[in-house]
Amino acid sequence: MMVIAYLFLLGLPIALFARQPLRSKLSLLCYSLLLLGIALIALYHPSTMMVHGALFALNPLRAWFLLLLSIVAVAVSWYRFGYQDHDDKATAFWLPLFVMSMTGVLMANTVWVFITFWELMSITSFFLVIVHHDREHVLPSGYVYLVMSQISAMAIIGGLFLLVSQVHSADLSVIALKAHAMNPGMKNWVSALLFIGFSMKSGVIPFHIWLPRAHPIAPTPVSSLMSGGMIKLGVFGLIQFLLLDVGVQQVFWAVLFLLVGAVTALLGVLYALMEKDLKRLLAFSSIENIGILFLGLGLMAVGIVLHRPTLEVTGMIATLFHAFNHALFKSQLFMIAGAVQQHTGTLDAERLGGLLRTMPGMGIAFIGGSMAISGLPPFNGFLSEWLTFHGLLSLMEHFGAFWMIVSFAVILMLAMTGALACLCFVNASGVIFLGVPRASRSNHPIGKAMTLPVIGLLFVCLAIGIDPNWLLSPLFAVFPQKPTLAVSSFFPSSLMVMSIVLLLLLTFFLWLSRFWTMKKVPNWQCGRVVHEQRQMSFTAFTKSVRTSLAIIYRPHRHLERTGTQAAYFPEQLIYRGGVRSIWEKYLYRPTYRLVWRLSGLTSILQAGSIQLYLIYMLGTIGLFLLFVH
Amino acid sequence: MTQTMIVQSFGFFIAIGLSPFFVGLIQTTKARIQGRHGPSVWQGYYVLLKYWKKETTLPENSSLIFVIAPIVSISVMLLIMLFIPWGKQLPGVLAGDFIMVFFLLALERFWTALAGLDTSGTFGGLGASRILTIGIGLEPMLFAVFGLCFFLTGNTHFAQISPLWLRQAPHLLAWFLAAGGFALTILLEIGRLPIDNPDTHLELTMMHEATQLEYNGRLFAFSHFASMCKVTAMLAIGWVWFGPTLSSQWWTLLLHLFELGVSSILVGVVESFTIKMRFFRIPYYVSAVIGMGLLAVVITAF
Repeated sequence: MMVIAYLFLLGLPIALFARQPLRSKLSLLCYSLLLLGIALIALYHPSTMMVHGALFALNPLRAWFLLLLSIVAVAVSWYRFGYQDHDDKATAFWLPLFVMSMTGVLMANTVWVFITFWELMSITSFFLVIVHHDREHVLPSGYVYLVMSQISAMAIIGGLFLLVSQVHSADLSVIALKAHAMNPGMKNWVSALLFIGFSMKSGVIPFHIWLPRAHPIAPTPVSSLMSGGMIKLGVFGLIQFLLLDVGVQQVFWAVLFLLVGAVTALLGVLYALMEKDLKRLLAFSSIENIGILFLGLGLMAVGIVLHRPTLEVTGMIATLFHAFNHALFKSQLFMIAGAVQQHTGTLDAERLGGLLRTMPGMGIAFIGGSMAISGLPPFNGFLSEWLTFHGLLSLMEHFGAFWMIVSFAVILMLAMTGALACLCFVNASGVIFLGVPRASRSNHPIGKAMTLPVIGLLFVCLAIGIDPNWLLSPLFAVFPQKPTLAVSSFFPSSLMVMSIVLLLLLTFFLWLSRFWTMKKVPNWQCGRVVHEQRQMSFTAFTKSVRTSLAIIYRPHRHLERTGTQAAYFPEQLIYRGGVRSIWEKYLYRPTYRLVWRLSGLTSILQAGSIQLYLIYMLGTIGLFLLFVH
Repeated sequence: MTQTMIVQSFGFFIAIGLSPFFVGLIQTTKARIQGRHGPSVWQGYYVLLKYWKKETTLPENSSLIFVIAPIVSISVMLLIMLFIPWGKQLPGVLAGDFIMVFFLLALERFWTALAGLDTSGTFGGLGASRILTIGIGLEPMLFAVFGLCFFLTGNTHFAQISPLWLRQAPHLLAWFLAAGGFALTILLEIGRLPIDNPDTHLELTMMHEATQLEYNGRLFAFSHFASMCKVTAMLAIGWVWFGPTLSSQWWTLLLHLFELGVSSILVGVVESFTIKMRFFRIPYYVSAVIGMGLLAVVITAF
């Protein structure tokens, strides 16, 4: 049955030969379904498919990530039937390669294959991001992404080479056995390089600046796949190499994970609040969720450092489960954002409003997705956040004063993150989908091909939220040597009872309200007239947060009056306001300037004159002659 | 087991039934302190009955969200009531924990705010923004207290927290800090202090009410009843965790109901004698509670 797993390489012929639009979309859908099949078989019937070759191998951990990736790929390729892209040829060529390279990263069983597919993934995603390269700002943003992903790849390659040189084998199964016994000094170097590399690819703060740049400019299927799939591969790398293979030994690493996770979660959602562009908002929200994943990784690291298998397993299940859930609802939300763009021609939330009337399916799905991403029952996000909270609380219990205070602080930050996410997504769904339409009034119809996958993902979210046990049971095979913990010990039955009773109560009261007899009457509004400009605007909704947290946001506003007697009778008021990114101002700009100045120094040697280069060559030959002589 | 079931369902229905009465007690207390006679303590029932009988209409710009929001509120509040151990124990299927209640409260806040935006009015949007901004402070506050309870008792389940408390004599100070913090959190959660005033419809003090301006008839009865149940539920959680229990389950239930009445009067007294804060002073209130939580953790840790 080995052959089945190698079928993922079919992505290459699909990219090369399926050139006709319909055929390429159809073949990508089939290809994604094939990957889904491989993942399901490998996860739920591992005995029927013993995939353990020299180059590629699947284990439960990889199959889990493959599952989330392939579900997103299926939804995205279905969605593409309705999505109108101006430059679909380029997307049709690079998209199968992108999916294939992500699968290759997951299935790689030697360091060489891993690095090859990792770089292929970076390159294909770069070309996908700059598909609309003729538009403004696309190329500079794309280059930021390329540079960041190459720095991350360099760090990962360095870390992996160091690892290979220590265990004298490039086979990942050998590394998994031997890497534990490395000498501690080398272990720290490897850990540092891998941590930087993989966390840069995941987009944790302060390495986050590529995410909000790359996601909005990419076509929607690409941003869905990147946010749902690609950034999770950084987390996969951290679990597989850093936590399971190398294994952390110092408390420092565990605290680093928790700290980075908490800061990323909190700042990510704080930045998301201030974004008017829906896709940028979703990109920052991805950063927030990566932060939550890192908290799970931190718990796992604490479990490893302190030799507490229960905590280790809890942390890992929380991370894997949340990664899965985030892949589902985030790709769904990105798809809705793409539909909004296609429907109205803009993503600027200040110009949108009342879209629930013209695209009801998408609107309901967005509200459902917002509930899931804010961690509200009965959706799946609730369960994974519940588990993360539970793990953090159990860290408070038996581990002494230090861990208690750390976890108490992290819990408070996570609670605040949840409330901010709630604010952010009520704002997004309320202002964009409810109320009366604002400036943008064009409505290009949205087909069923776009609505159905989005609604489908929402139903998957709901099904997992009601009963997660069927999904999670194979995950425990990741730890063959650890004491087996039943899934039921993670999610008590009362959670399921709660979801079901909640749905029953909702139905009962809906019936009791007799909503079908209600008449529509003009609004009261305290005697005012409903007007699009009198609704709460997107920016005004977060005004009090911006004021309270001015120290983080550095808000600025500028009011301009135009006209002949502008001071007293302005004809037009132009308001500009926004927030500044402290990371770009204090970290990236100075670094950029430093690199620029250093590269300026090379001009002393390399001035571009042919005579100078001839002298260099002459001198080199002379030196060689001397040396040989 | 059967006795637990009976006590639990009995307590559940009685507490729901008495919710308007407890709110009436708060209002009567406030009226007496202000020197008025005030409405009867049973006024809540008349009001609910009046709304229930009236015809329900929807504003013309509203959508399905407007109908669902009050239904979510009332369902969530009833669900929370179901998970409170009214006797001393809970039946196994209801062994809920506080993280669940935390997220249920967030769910209610989410939908109330969404309904505020759905009416496309200015006030609704303002109310929604205020509710959620308060939530940013409120949720860490809840977790500061919840986390502390967990830390002192080692349990997230409601039913198991209270009996263990009494054995924690060395942490008496931590107990007081947790109870005080929870009292402050409750006052914010039920919208009594330090900024909100649910008895007036003045735009300066409106939060929850601003999102409800367009409601009438049955839907308004639902959301009104939900806010009454919220008061009962939050006070009851406080008493279940920090109050004493008696040997018999039935006596414990009676004790809880008595305590609820007493604490309603207390809320009325505290609300009468405390000056409301400005909206932007809320971070101070929040940090006071979080500080209490941290202090309690440090006391117990060392």
